[in-house]
Amino acid sequence: MPDIAPTAAPRQPLASRRYTLEIRQQMAWHWQALILALALLVGLGISTAILVAAGVPAGELLNEFVLLTLFDLQSLKAVLFQAAPIIMVGLAGCIAFRARFWNLGLEGQMIWGGIAATAISLFEVGPEALRLPLMGLAAALAGLAWALAPVLLKLNLRVNEIISTLMLNYIAANFLLHLVYGAWKDPRDAFPYSPQYRPFERIPEFFDGYSLAIPLALLAALLAWWFVSLCRAGLYLRFVDANLRVATANGVPVRQVIITSVLLSGSLAGLAGWLVAAGQESRLTQAFYQGYGFSGILIAFLARNNPLAATIVALLVATLFVAGRNLQVFYQIPFSMVQLIQALIVICVASSDFFIRHRIRRTLGRDA
Amino acid sequence: MELITSWLGNVPDFAVPYALAALGLILTERAGVLALGAEGLLLAGALASIGMQLALGVTGLSLLAGMAAAALVSVLFAVMVIILRINQVIAGLTLVFFCQGLTSLLGTLLEWTNQPIQGLPALALWPLSELPLIGRLFNQNLMVYLTAPIFFAVVWYLQRSTSGLRLRAVGENPQAADAAGIPVIAYRFAAVMAGAALVGLAGAYIAVLSTKMWIADMSGGRGWIAVALVIFARWSPWKALVGALLFGCIEALIPQLAAAGIRLPQYFVLMTPYAVTLGVMIWVALSGRGQNDQPGALGEPYVREERR
Repeated sequence: MPDIAPTAAPRQPLASRRYTLEIRQQMAWHWQALILALALLVGLGISTAILVAAGVPAGELLNEFVLLTLFDLQSLKAVLFQAAPIIMVGLAGCIAFRARFWNLGLEGQMIWGGIAATAISLFEVGPEALRLPLMGLAAALAGLAWALAPVLLKLNLRVNEIISTLMLNYIAANFLLHLVYGAWKDPRDAFPYSPQYRPFERIPEFFDGYSLAIPLALLAALLAWWFVSLCRAGLYLRFVDANLRVATANGVPVRQVIITSVLLSGSLAGLAGWLVAAGQESRLTQAFYQGYGFSGILIAFLARNNPLAATIVALLVATLFVAGRNLQVFYQIPFSMVQLIQALIVICVASSDFFIRHRIRRTLGRDA
Repeated sequence: MELITSWLGNVPDFAVPYALAALGLILTERAGVLALGAEGLLLAGALASIGMQLALGVTGLSLLAGMAAAALVSVLFAVMVIILRINQVIAGLTLVFFCQGLTSLLGTLLEWTNQPIQGLPALALWPLSELPLIGRLFNQNLMVYLTAPIFFAVVWYLQRSTSGLRLRAVGENPQAADAAGIPVIAYRFAAVMAGAALVGLAGAYIAVLSTKMWIADMSGGRGWIAVALVIFARWSPWKALVGALLFGCIEALIPQLAAAGIRLPQYFVLMTPYAVTLGVMIWVALSGRGQNDQPGALGEPYVREERR
């Protein structure tokens, strides 16, 4: 204000140094990679600190996690074995999230996949040679069916899919308990699980200790990648993800695209249930699905809904699962540690995004 | 007759956590922050209160510990969504998973699992407690009675006080609120923490006064049901209270049926709260209400491009 005479002492600026936030348009990929790597390091660092506080000797951690899990053939087999269903749920997450549909019902869809596969085994549907593929087909269809209601409710009635899919998880989990404690309980045993599958109903090895589930999951990853990046539906899907309104205005069959991808997501989750039931447990157990739904969501988030990236992230999560089981056996660390570590890593990676998208600039004085 | 009396008597025990959690969520969401983390905050409140109860045995302090723990954890969430502007759905989900992992880890490592504790004795509100049929409704622990003033206070704050008006303005239109000189970030931070404290109190109630022990994942989806309650109550505290009572009635009925010797498939009965939630959501959607009363800026981070 020029015409007011200055007072005796010159006024101090309100603050001499300020920080301003700017939206960054673009960032070189190597800086992005560096920030991401730093975020992962911070996440792993915090996790390590928690593990040490929980009583794992610090010196053993490297041994336990890195050397024994990745550089030992037996463990590598275990990791790959564990990875197959995790890849499936990760892909399921990617495809649903691409359609802007929060499919938190991965666990429910997995449960129904397991139930349907077990039903085929229990009621001896089809000839022996076709039994295993039939179980897989039934699992995929069951998962698809369990995903149908939430997507229709969302599209027709705008019912929040986060709540509806979660509620359906609890319903499916209780139904599973009803079966394994009731009609489907193995009469030969006191434990709540179904009778063991016959040998031809289990997923075989395809090569010296490597389960056939691994190539199946990789095949699914390739198909998912084809779906989201090469085929027409995938192009539409990108349109829907980018801007729903513009997509609608341009005549993209939004409804069909969303329904297709959610159903695909549900059937992938159903297949994951089949992979766990027929590949790992060889029966329907009461908690076979636990932890997978959460991992699927996190994998999709960390992989930015890219199926190929999701496969890699899923391998890392599988390593974490195997290491978590080892920690449980040797140090009595509860398996929930695995969940905590995953959450910590997601928090760190998500936070790092802020530094990729914003620039913090220090400005001097008030008129900088 | 006996069945109805004892059923009604148990309703508050189940309804209070829903009411407190929904109230906390409304407080947060009215400021425009989508609060999906309730399930995790319930667990944080529950574990902290059990720990305090096992350590000191003073129930009041345990409840406060539950509130403090949930508020503390919610700072993490507030930083993620308000300052770092992470997608609020992802941040809320991560908060739930974080709390599930952390509480079940701590509960096991500290050996707090399955340790029974003393709750609060029931206080009879004479002469109301002598009424036929509904007498047992007035024979509850102190916290049930305290829920009423807490509810009134929060509703008064939201609807009658200047600060509450500002909070709602921040949730409806943060740009306008900012232009009017309301500190948007501070209001949202406070709303997240205060809401979380109420959800934590609900968790502490479940652990210390209702279940009376810590079991991993003991909230069992109640946090999600509370989120759904807020949606069908259309962000109105009184409607949320009605919803909480409805769910309280349903949950209180489950043990009564078993006690009365009515044989129903157990796991189907356990499904009912979830199925009812789904049913009510569909019913509200069919009746064409619901979305309109949502706070205008719910789920949107506030970005003032040039901060001076």
